[in-house]
Amino acid sequence: MTAKLAMVIDSKVCIDCRACKVACKVENKVPEGHWRNWIKQQMPSPEAVIDQPQNARLDFQPGNCMHCDEATCIQACPTGATYRNPADNTIQVNKKLCIGCGSCIPACPYGARYRHPEQKVVDKCDFCAARRLRGEAPACVVTCPTKARVFGDINDPASDVARLLKEKETVRVVGNYTDTRPNLYYVSTTAPMDWPGKAEAPTAIGFLKALFLPVVGVAGITLLSVLNMFARQLVTKDNNVDEEKGEKHD
Amino acid sequence: MIKRHTLIDMIMHWFNAVCWLFLLGTGLGLLHNGHLQLFGGAWSRWMRSLFGSGETLLLSHEVVGIVWAAGFLLYGLFRFRKAVWPFTREILTVSPKRDIQWFMKKGSQMNLGRGIMNKFGVDSQLPDQGFYNIGQKMFAVPALFGGILIAVSGIVMLLSRITVTETAWVQWAILIHFLCAGLVSGGLLMHIYVASFAPGERPAFISMFTGYVPEHYAKHHHRIWYESVRQASPGRGAPGGERK
Repeated sequence: MTAKLAMVIDSKVCIDCRACKVACKVENKVPEGHWRNWIKQQMPSPEAVIDQPQNARLDFQPGNCMHCDEATCIQACPTGATYRNPADNTIQVNKKLCIGCGSCIPACPYGARYRHPEQKVVDKCDFCAARRLRGEAPACVVTCPTKARVFGDINDPASDVARLLKEKETVRVVGNYTDTRPNLYYVSTTAPMDWPGKAEAPTAIGFLKALFLPVVGVAGITLLSVLNMFARQLVTKDNNVDEEKGEKHD
Repeated sequence: MIKRHTLIDMIMHWFNAVCWLFLLGTGLGLLHNGHLQLFGGAWSRWMRSLFGSGETLLLSHEVVGIVWAAGFLLYGLFRFRKAVWPFTREILTVSPKRDIQWFMKKGSQMNLGRGIMNKFGVDSQLPDQGFYNIGQKMFAVPALFGGILIAVSGIVMLLSRITVTETAWVQWAILIHFLCAGLVSGGLLMHIYVASFAPGERPAFISMFTGYVPEHYAKHHHRIWYESVRQASPGRGAPGGERK
């Protein structure tokens, strides 16, 4: 069985120190104004604060690209630059094949993608592919002081993530619009839950997908017509008479 | 024999042909998406395995695309008054009365045959045509203007990784690039068939190597052009030389 890399996050122990954001930014040289990962917040409701102040809590939810099983970013990419690495089930970007069209950016319900202002191609969390080649865990996981982020292969029963998934109740953050079957799990409950958006395609790419078959169809009909002409030419000498002898001008 | 093509025009024709086949094959291979694939994705897989990887396929497409566009830019600059402008004027000149009839009859003749046409009482004689017939013009117009749009949209995509920050430009460029290439490719199938295989068209094919067509061919296929060449130099019958 091939590996399936995933993250199991205990958001209850997150203290919003943002060390994961800093570590990621340094490790992956993420440019100013952009992030590969995040910590979402949810304020307690005013009622909860008034009625049960001892139980009211501010929720933090660390996250990043969820390396989804139903990856809408792959479906949006015209060239195959965004692809699933079959060896570990992660979603990767081949930056030499990416033409920077940005179609995948609105296709991600989690807003995990951005266009790198210097490279001019898309960038996102790759579960620290370069570190993993050296046998190290992603920077955000290693740096987390409360060990809220746990990373590993959920297909390996001996891994921490597989054990957590087996022993604990987990949830996934799926919005109201698009279920991409994400591979980020949260232990017991997490908040906020309703923030992911809708996977959308840019207008031009929508047209491209709608017009692809009609255009190929028109070319196909032309091909059929040409084949018909060729077949007629082979079975009858009629045309030769037309062209060579049936001239009206002579 | 009547001169029909200059040497530089013939070179550009075959340069264009080689570039087009290469760019069409690699371009279709670059589309790699569940909604945008030929033969269930097989074409894209073949191309990527032939070129080693997706990125070498993209690089090859970009390099040949630049060479193609640069070749035509130079041609356009140096041959604008002598060839490009007269060509553009010729392909945009239509005569509905003659051309609609020619198109309907020629299409029926090639697809159905003269026998069936006569059975339905249709006279299969074709009206006179100029340097190009309307079928050639219907291919030449999309080839010229589609080609320009393909080059411009290709440059937008190239610049996407250098200067363009507005991704909508790149997205529309992809759409235009694909639509124009698809449109011209449909015509290209017809062009290749008529020029290489269709009966009676052999002299036109040979003229793309020699530059000359026989007088009887010019008279039969492009009578209006034939008459104008003959009038331009009446003393020598229908000699060679530039068209008007």
